Amino acid sequence: MGQSIESGTRNAKYRLRRYADYCEHRYIVVSSLPASSGLGPAVKVRLRSASAAWAAGVVGAVAIGCYYLIPAHAQDVLYVVIGLASVAAVEWGALRNLESGRHRLAWHLFAAGLLLQVAGDFTSGYWEIFRNAQPPLPSIADGFYLAGYPLLVAGAFAIPRRSSPLLAGTALLDTLVVFLAVLLFQWVYFVDVPDVSGLHSLGARLVATAYPVMDAVLLVAVGQLMVPSVLRTRAYRLLILSIALWVVADEVYALTSTSYNGGWLDALWLASYVCWGCAALDRSVAELEDAPRDPLARLTPVRLTLLAAALIAAPVLIVARRAAHDSVPVSVGVIAGLIALGAMGRFVGLIRTVDRARLAEQEVRREAEVAERLLRFQNDRLRELDRLKDEFVSAVSHELRTPLTSISGYAELLRLDEKNPERRRYLDIVERNAERLISLVSDVLFAARLQDGRLQLIVEPVDLQQLIVHAADAARPRAASTGVELVVRADEPLGVEGEPERLGQLLDNLVSNAIKFTPDGGRVSITGARDGDLVRVEVSDTGIGIAPEESERLFERFFRSQVALERQIQGTGLGLYISKAIVEAHGGRIGVSSTQGEGTTFMVELPAAS
Amino acid sequence: VSDQPLVLCVDDDEDILALVEIRLGSAGYEVVTANDGLEALEAARERRPSVVILDMMMPRLNGLDTLAQIRADPQLADVPVILLSARVQEEDVRRGLAAGADAYVIKPFKFGELEDAIERLLYGAGGF
Repeated sequence: MGQSIESGTRNAKYRLRRYADYCEHRYIVVSSLPASSGLGPAVKVRLRSASAAWAAGVVGAVAIGCYYLIPAHAQDVLYVVIGLASVAAVEWGALRNLESGRHRLAWHLFAAGLLLQVAGDFTSGYWEIFRNAQPPLPSIADGFYLAGYPLLVAGAFAIPRRSSPLLAGTALLDTLVVFLAVLLFQWVYFVDVPDVSGLHSLGARLVATAYPVMDAVLLVAVGQLMVPSVLRTRAYRLLILSIALWVVADEVYALTSTSYNGGWLDALWLASYVCWGCAALDRSVAELEDAPRDPLARLTPVRLTLLAAALIAAPVLIVARRAAHDSVPVSVGVIAGLIALGAMGRFVGLIRTVDRARLAEQEVRREAEVAERLLRFQNDRLRELDRLKDEFVSAVSHELRTPLTSISGYAELLRLDEKNPERRRYLDIVERNAERLISLVSDVLFAARLQDGRLQLIVEPVDLQQLIVHAADAARPRAASTGVELVVRADEPLGVEGEPERLGQLLDNLVSNAIKFTPDGGRVSITGARDGDLVRVEVSDTGIGIAPEESERLFERFFRSQVALERQIQGTGLGLYISKAIVEAHGGRIGVSSTQGEGTTFMVELPAAS
Repeated sequence: VSDQPLVLCVDDDEDILALVEIRLGSAGYEVVTANDGLEALEAARERRPSVVILDMMMPRLNGLDTLAQIRADPQLADVPVILLSARVQEEDVRRGLAAGADAYVIKPFKFGELEDAIERLLYGAGGF
């Protein structure tokens, strides 16, 4: 015995260790999943949820099968048990699959409605088992049943919608029309019949009337759910199926109540319970309310068919009754009138929607027209301003050049006749400064045109080698006057596509800059060479150089280096700006490299002519 | 009648007109001046010049219109015309040449440039 206890303990210890191993193993497995995966758990949850719905379905089906194998009283018990299980499944599914109270509300209502149905089942079961009779009409059971329907309907309406109020209103109106059509048939065939009107008490008549009306309402609830563009998930299909089963069972029961013997119809109600539970258990129930919705109220074919069917319900009914030599009750007229009003309302709604859309469109079009006119006005004004500016710049240029013509012309004239060297020097200064002013005026005019983006090149084949030689020749006197040596190295023809005047201006700018910034006795060299698809021109000097922090800003308009300002080297700060613009207009690049105190090199690359 | 070439010089700016007159005179040209297009046409019809130097912006009749009238006049149509203007934009130059000018010299000018242009028009590119 002691041994057995011992062995039992060992067994327990063994099991405990196995469990620990299992846990550890599972832990290891989980931790060995790649961090980014996250797929494993999700798949597991989905499988578990699907299996919950499937298991409920299978168990339900088996239970329904068993229902027909057991004695009558046991049937009553099983009936209630299946109902209760479904209620529990709906609640459990709602709590597990849905997050907020707002989303759970519909399923709480379903559960409550179903619970009342189960209470009704329980009451009638009680009558059958203990009194061995059907409950009377009306009974408490009817109270439970009828109280359950509104909750089920409310549940169907409580599934959160994302549609606009207008859309919801339209859907409601459509539903109302369809409901009236259903009610018409319910009324004529189940309410306004001798079976019901012959009932002895008012209560019995009311209850007998209430059932078909409730079924009509329940049908409408299904219609509400079937409003287009709801996501057709499994939960959605199960829910529709459960309500449909319920209504069909009710209707068939009502039609055959006199000859009903408690047979196969119970299977429909029980299946409805089971489907309801499965719908809640299925994980896709969460997607039911997140269905993307159509932003526009549309008349889909389904809707149109339903509305058409509703509209012809009364005529069809009248013809059918006449054909069967039955009377046509007054209620047909009343309900047909209500249907007509509903259709009318829908019609008015449609026309208003179209009107609103047309008004909105007109408004938008008017606004667009105003905006367009405003834009045209502003455009004209801008063009006018542009023209005025252009005229102004060119007029100012003209007005400055005219007096400068006299200044430089007469100075030149005086200098020619002047014998006194000192006076000749003075006149030189006047002339030189007039020159400066002229080139300043030219540069400003050119920069203004550049800024307008109006540097349009008149392109032709140009030999850059010749232009380099030209520029050097033009600069030679000035270089000589400050003792700067000018070296040209361009041994081959350098064909490019460009405007000769602008390229000449570019070279003049670079060369005169280099001479300006090179002290007496220095050297300026100009090289031109082909480099693959490019023509490369470099202008280097042995001048004062540029500070690294300034080389970035060198090509900006009106920028002048600190050294240039300190040493009072003449210039406007436009030359390099213009040079860069010219190079870029030719599809090339310009750059600079410099060592302070040693010299500067400007590099220009232009695409070679093919 | 002298054998010096006659240059008709037209400008509304008296100073420039005087300058051109002095320089051309000392360079051996006979110079007639006019202050605007109408005066210029009158002078040209009176005595056919060898070359006309024409400013663009003038009162009464501007340079381009004067040029057009010179070209339309059978007596003057083939007289060489040099436009001498402070209007330096490409459009202006293009318009001037399109109107029938033989040369375009921009103000301010070195006298040498103007002289070169006159000589080229009078004696051809080869010169002398």
